[in-house]
Amino acid sequence: MERRTAGYAAARAATAFEGNGHGLHKIRPTVGESKTNIALASIVELISFLFMNLVAHLTCFVAVAEELHFGRAAERLGMAQPPLSQRIRRLETELGVRLFERSSRHVAVTPAGRALLGEARDILSRVERIYALRSREGGTLRAAVPGDLDGAVVAALIAAFRERRPDLVLDLVPLGTPEQVRRLGTGALDVGIVRHPCEAPGLVFGPVLAQPVGVLLAAVDAAPDVRLPDLGGRAVAVFPRDEAPGAYDELLAACRARGFAPAAVHESPNPQFALGLVLAGTAVALTPRTADTAGSVWRPLLGGPLVLRTSCAWRLGEEPAAGVGDFTATATDVLRREAGMTDLETPAPRRVVLRPASGFLA
Amino acid sequence: MSARQDVEQVFRDAGVVGQVHAVDIDRGVELGVSPDDPVVLASVFKLPLLVAFYREAAAGVLDPREPVTLRAEERCAGPTGTSMLADDVTMSLRDLAALMMTVSDNAAADTVFARVGAAAVDRALRELDLEHTRVVGDSRMLQDSMLADSGAAGMADLWERLDEPGGLARLRALDPARTSASTPRDMTRLLAMIWRDEAAPPDACARMRRLMSLQVWPHRLASGFPYDDVVVSGKTGTLPTIRNEVGVVEYPDGGRYAVAVFTRSHALTAVAPHADAAIGTAARRAVGALRSGR
Repeated sequence: MERRTAGYAAARAATAFEGNGHGLHKIRPTVGESKTNIALASIVELISFLFMNLVAHLTCFVAVAEELHFGRAAERLGMAQPPLSQRIRRLETELGVRLFERSSRHVAVTPAGRALLGEARDILSRVERIYALRSREGGTLRAAVPGDLDGAVVAALIAAFRERRPDLVLDLVPLGTPEQVRRLGTGALDVGIVRHPCEAPGLVFGPVLAQPVGVLLAAVDAAPDVRLPDLGGRAVAVFPRDEAPGAYDELLAACRARGFAPAAVHESPNPQFALGLVLAGTAVALTPRTADTAGSVWRPLLGGPLVLRTSCAWRLGEEPAAGVGDFTATATDVLRREAGMTDLETPAPRRVVLRPASGFLA
Repeated sequence: MSARQDVEQVFRDAGVVGQVHAVDIDRGVELGVSPDDPVVLASVFKLPLLVAFYREAAAGVLDPREPVTLRAEERCAGPTGTSMLADDVTMSLRDLAALMMTVSDNAAADTVFARVGAAAVDRALRELDLEHTRVVGDSRMLQDSMLADSGAAGMADLWERLDEPGGLARLRALDPARTSASTPRDMTRLLAMIWRDEAAPPDACARMRRLMSLQVWPHRLASGFPYDDVVVSGKTGTLPTIRNEVGVVEYPDGGRYAVAVFTRSHALTAVAPHADAAIGTAARRAVGALRSGR
């Protein structure tokens, strides 16, 4: 849920026209053009200039409003501080209001600035969507998968999609759920495979699959049957929280609720690191089934399995990009076949006994 | 690490996304984490309602001592106060307001809301210049909207429905654009006006301060200030994934700080003590930063 209004397109706009004052001298017809062409070219350039310039100024404004610090905002925008301050002053002059109260140590947003902030973010996110449209090449499907997906599964997914849609190029990137949600929202991504729970207004989800989570143990201390409480106060290695905060929180809450309170949690960016911790005896790893290696064994958890929930996701509303439906069907099929995922059975009803302090509307 | 980053770290550690505004009521020094972004009020809507109630009483539009009978079968559901009682209850309007604030009694709040009226709440917000704050309905309306949006038959069924992908996104009650909403800064402004006797006549402000200091919940804002000589007054707000509290912290040296903390969790767990405590810890860090310059 990280707030990032100043994305690629907006940041590009922010650095355009650097040091050109109002930049108007850029609008100059090329020698040899007919009069009509000159006028037309000038108008197009003028509109594009005004638009870019407004976007650039709003981008600067939002950065300062979010950082409340000109130095940090300049750093974030990749520009020097003097032109940034100049932009803000110019925007204030243009609008005829003060946007920030500045003291020697302190920057605060004025009421007028607060009113502008919501509008500015709205405009910038729309602009980003426009650029995403322009940068879309025909015949390419931009898709994302969770970063920890097994290599064999990724290969099977690419192969199966290629077979199903040989006309489309699959542009596949590994991304965590929050970043996928953000890019789906701005239109920078056509379809993704996300972990649940993920709160994402404006997305549509494909069939939800469940992937049982087991425990990877050092071979020397692997009992044949493992239940969560057997893990006692061991430290545990899991995927990084930033990859899927909802799933991470839910997984650890489920461990605690079932009698396993880990002594420490090691966020492991890749399976190799988790394996290293297991082999060294530092931790046990909670992970979907992985191939046994010398020195480690994977065991399912008895007594009510933990599951990771996964589904495809795309943007609600407009016609989905070509291939989204095929990708979803392919991915769902491949995840079932290759990643040990199953259709989510109707889970046992979640037992929620509300307490007065946590109850509805307390 | 700056004080703001310090507060953000508290939220990250607790697995929530949080927004804060804290301000020294008398000196105006402030600290914010996204303090101007809209937030869902949940039960915090009962605070602007209380202010509207006492403004109407001061204007002579309603009599706070007027007895009202709440029929058992007509009361809005809820876990506390008259909401959870078995039989009809007769009580004065101001005592209902007291239960609404101290235990977040839904039935009491809806009765007060019906008597004050939506128009008077809007007017109070406008007159106090709280332009980012909106109260769109009462507790029952919130409950009904959650059932309608989730397709759940009853509150017991609701959590199961919310587990479905997109389940949370369907709820208007969790979207600041479509439910009662405000900003952290608007809420600290309202609190500061109550503490400076500007939100209503001084005796009415004193009554409001007293009710807020009698709130029973120890787990959120108050948990951050485990000191016998510090007074914590507040109003909580709770919905699935949402935990809020706004209030005022008063130190024996006279320092008083209005703090508004609004959080959302990723996980759909109803009981999350660490998320509750993060509200208190974040508030303590923020107030600590404001006091360091004192």
